[in-house]
Amino acid sequence: MEISRRNSLGLFLGTVGLLALPISAAAEGPVYLGYQLPLTGNTAQYGQDFKTAAEIALKNFNASGKLKVPVEIIFEDSRSDAKEGVAIARKFVDDDRIVAALGDFTSTVSMAAAQVYKRAEMAQLSQTASHPDFAKISEWQFRNITTQAQEGVYNADWMNEQGLKKIAVIAEQTDWGQSVVKDFAEKVKANGGEVVFTEFFNRGLPDFRSIITKIERAKPDAIYTGFFYEDGAQFLKQMKQLSVETPVYSTSAAYNQKLVELAGPAAEGLFLTVTFLPNSESDHVTTFVDEWKAARDGAEPGQFPAQAYDAVNIMLEAVARAYPDVSRQNVRDELAKTKDFPGVTGVTSFDENGEALKQLTKATVTDGQFVPLK
Amino acid sequence: MIDPYYLQQLTIGISLGMVYALMAIGFTLIFGVLNVVNFAHGEVYTIGAFAGIMAIAAFGPPFLVIVFIVLAVGALAGFGLERLAFRPFRRFSDEASLKSRAMREATLMSSLAMSIIAREAMELLFGSEFQTIDISYLINKPIELGPVTIVNGDIIIFVVSVLMLGGLQWLLKYSSIGLSIRAVSNNPLGAKYVGINTDRTIVLTFVIGSMMGALAGILVGLYYGAVFPSMGFIPGVKAFVAMVMGGLSSIPGAVIAALVLGVAESMSTTFVSSVWADMVAYLFLIVTLVFFPQGLFGARRERV
Repeated sequence: MEISRRNSLGLFLGTVGLLALPISAAAEGPVYLGYQLPLTGNTAQYGQDFKTAAEIALKNFNASGKLKVPVEIIFEDSRSDAKEGVAIARKFVDDDRIVAALGDFTSTVSMAAAQVYKRAEMAQLSQTASHPDFAKISEWQFRNITTQAQEGVYNADWMNEQGLKKIAVIAEQTDWGQSVVKDFAEKVKANGGEVVFTEFFNRGLPDFRSIITKIERAKPDAIYTGFFYEDGAQFLKQMKQLSVETPVYSTSAAYNQKLVELAGPAAEGLFLTVTFLPNSESDHVTTFVDEWKAARDGAEPGQFPAQAYDAVNIMLEAVARAYPDVSRQNVRDELAKTKDFPGVTGVTSFDENGEALKQLTKATVTDGQFVPLK
Repeated sequence: MIDPYYLQQLTIGISLGMVYALMAIGFTLIFGVLNVVNFAHGEVYTIGAFAGIMAIAAFGPPFLVIVFIVLAVGALAGFGLERLAFRPFRRFSDEASLKSRAMREATLMSSLAMSIIAREAMELLFGSEFQTIDISYLINKPIELGPVTIVNGDIIIFVVSVLMLGGLQWLLKYSSIGLSIRAVSNNPLGAKYVGINTDRTIVLTFVIGSMMGALAGILVGLYYGAVFPSMGFIPGVKAFVAMVMGGLSSIPGAVIAALVLGVAESMSTTFVSSVWADMVAYLFLIVTLVFFPQGLFGARRERV
């Protein structure tokens, strides 16, 4: 008892001391950003990727001399837990040095934290939160990932151009899967096509053969799919098992080198939209890919770290434009003005809701590689 | 004639049922026949699959060699599992403890604990995602049979299931070890009194059952090309349902129930969304428990 009371008194005094300090330090010191992301727990691999990407972006920015003062990023581990995410958001908004926040990874955590940022009026930019409602929470939320509202329409037009009119749609049974189907189906109808089959499946379904057989009975010209790479690999392998040759189109969620590793030849000829291809020849991409490989023993970066890299750069550009008046309000306003930002995931602008408008690239799998289509 | 669509769905259902049956055989041997509550069979299945793909990644041996490696690992896993989660509850040999249901059913928790530890350890070691497997080892090469398509894995799984089933039936009916397994399951105390080494019998049953579980794991893993730490859970549930439907102690009953389950799932996909197909298994479980408490093929006998 004695010891703990003494400790808590010490903590209290320490806190008072800390609170008194930083207010005066703002003038010529570094600019701080907060980044909340899962660094431990079962989504840790994503958070670790974001951290590496952010460190590469930050190092290059500070070396470029665009800003007279250095920028620093404070990383906090949210463990993909909504409660933890809210606690971190509170910590960030209470820290007067921090001018804007990045993250979180999942839509759930990002949206929980968003309530804090909304009330405290601090900009939040997530690299991956793709829930349709995230960016609509308030003017303080931004994201650097395309939503199905954009991809679905783009894919519907693409398939229409290819003369594919009768289309079967399957997607996983989640909010995201629902949005894949909804926006796509509306555009198909508007283009004069027909959705002949719609079905949802539970994520992690081991056996798609019954569904594939059912799809084939509807005799579609093509199949549009809303799945991530693991389900995607299973689906494509089982299509091949059943000798079904109908062309398959998918979203950028299926884009992962692991899809090709798992499905092998069955992945050949899959059509999908992407925003980032590590084998692209643009300067931005080669710089990022080279530095990533140096940091990660030669491994290629995927789509998510590329989005994090761009998100950090977009944020840094906004800070640079806001300088010398780096207030939270100013950083948000400059962030909202982001237009035609040339990133590794394509040219990005924000619309009035803080929604990223990106140039999508058509791609296919050829010889085990994702290659862009003209 | 029959619509080829239904013929194809039936074929898929049977192959799905064979996959469940493969798991159900080893599961029923330990849980049903020996009458030891064991919820770690799904992890033995997963360990078998991981052992197999690690062997493939390390030195790419021929298929039969993989089978033997997996059988060895399965035997070891079964032995270890029995040692850690089951033997401690047989420490007390007084009559009250031996007759106590609580002592026997406590292994429900200890085996569940072992399964959680094993699964989490595998997640830490390998990550929770699908493991990459050399594509040439997958047993999913299509074979056209008139209007329906099967794969070579279907044939392999069918042959292995028949061998397992036949072998076990022979073992249980005609061999002395089978006799002692049945004696221990019927009355452990009585078996002890007439001089049967019950410990040895239980260990042996675990070893045999786990070898089958591990083999099922690698075969299904290569069949679907999907090996990941929680892969044993859903087949475990299906095998459990098949065992209960089949009457707990009957291995052929479990196999038939597994086939019924597979066909019902693939057929139901025709009429309802696949999201509901998993419901079929649970529905069967409830119907069986309510209307056929002895199972469809079970002998009358006092049960847990």
